[in-house]
Amino acid sequence: MQRAIPITVCFVFGFFMLLQFFVPHKLSVLAYENVLDWMQIIFVFTLLVGAASYIRLNTKKVVQTQAGWGYNLVALAGLSLMVILGFWKGTGENTPFLWMFNNLQAPMQATMFSLLAFFVASAAYRGFRARSWEATLLLLTATVVMLGRVPLGNLISHWVPDTANWILSVPSMAAKRGLYIGIGLGTISTSLRIILGIERTYLGRR
Amino acid sequence: MINRQLIFILIALSVAVPLVIRLGLPNYVTSEVMQVYEEIDQLDSDSVVMISFDHEASSLPEVKPMAVAILRHCFSKNLKVIGFALLAEGTAIGDQILREVAAEHNKVYGKDYVFLGFRPQYQAAILGMGEDIKRVFPQDYKNISLDQIPMMEGIKNYQDISLIISVADGDMPAYWVDYAVSRYHKKVSAAVTAVMATSFYPFLASGQIVGLLGGLKGAAEYEILIEKPGIGQRGMDAQSVSHLMIILLVILGNMGYFLRRRFTG
Repeated sequence: MQRAIPITVCFVFGFFMLLQFFVPHKLSVLAYENVLDWMQIIFVFTLLVGAASYIRLNTKKVVQTQAGWGYNLVALAGLSLMVILGFWKGTGENTPFLWMFNNLQAPMQATMFSLLAFFVASAAYRGFRARSWEATLLLLTATVVMLGRVPLGNLISHWVPDTANWILSVPSMAAKRGLYIGIGLGTISTSLRIILGIERTYLGRR
Repeated sequence: MINRQLIFILIALSVAVPLVIRLGLPNYVTSEVMQVYEEIDQLDSDSVVMISFDHEASSLPEVKPMAVAILRHCFSKNLKVIGFALLAEGTAIGDQILREVAAEHNKVYGKDYVFLGFRPQYQAAILGMGEDIKRVFPQDYKNISLDQIPMMEGIKNYQDISLIISVADGDMPAYWVDYAVSRYHKKVSAAVTAVMATSFYPFLASGQIVGLLGGLKGAAEYEILIEKPGIGQRGMDAQSVSHLMIILLVILGNMGYFLRRRFTG
């Protein structure tokens, strides 16, 4: 019973959404719009579950003073502060919430993202070696694309950006297309397995 | 071997110095960026463009110049703009960018542009707006009912929208293709971070997306087209020098590798 209900719900809604695509009747569209509303409502509840889990996990580490508990305390303080500020003065223009977002959260996240440039440079210096024919090809391709995607490449010769664009729009795209077709076929087969109740791992281990 | 600290210093300098001392390297416009420009440029004034801020704060330095350049073009053409976010962090950012650029062009909120805020569960939101935008966003970001916003009068769903532009740092434009292009046959353009740009070339070639802006370079190219230089063009100098620095480091690394192999067998 514990499994039969979710499998039945999944089957009914899965097939409804599949059939609805081909049925433009008013009733079908109305039901479809309701399903979309419910999808958003359910998703909001999953956000609540996520937040609750985040608070529980961090609180546990702080209470038990586990290694690095100070970071967990900062995480909890940050979450609480943003929630309080959001409810207190709102999230729009000239609010403390927006000030915190603009002056703390956004720069910190952008800084973390920017660090990638340093790690990429260091990793490229240490790891990008022409050890084999394939590695050399990869190295040359990367060099052409890196130069071709900046104005410097065009200064050297118009062949550099032209070759870079050819690499992106022919061999790279062919590989991407192959991947996407594979992903598409995999998605269809997995979706059918879930709708038909063959694939049940989403229900948990028990 | 060059130690890691020196590499970090070299990269920091190669990014920072060109931002301060302009090199003015000439840029050129690629066909994919031109496509977005032409698509917007051919729209009649009062046409409605949707801009979805599908990104997080981490990619702000890369996505903001693209969003600003596109919005400047839209407002200079007197197009109506509907902004919203399908990722939570894009909400505050989208609202601010829209307000800043609208103020530059003396555009009035509710008449020339609106910002609808954020909706979770992007698949449902994209599909839902294809049926009825007001059902997905009954109120805007300021909690004003869409029925009370003059600009939203007569706008029901994608049929009343001329173009959708997804400004993203992930694969959100692919969802727009899956749900808005495939199901509602809507024109969608993408402005994505450089690292994501290659993922969208297949969609570009198949015509499922109309034009593509890739990172700071995409922004710089768009700035050339609208003849309003901005951070995109300044950033291209820094990107050129830092790319060159990485290539030099790779060459040095390989020289060291081959010399070591030669002397140690």
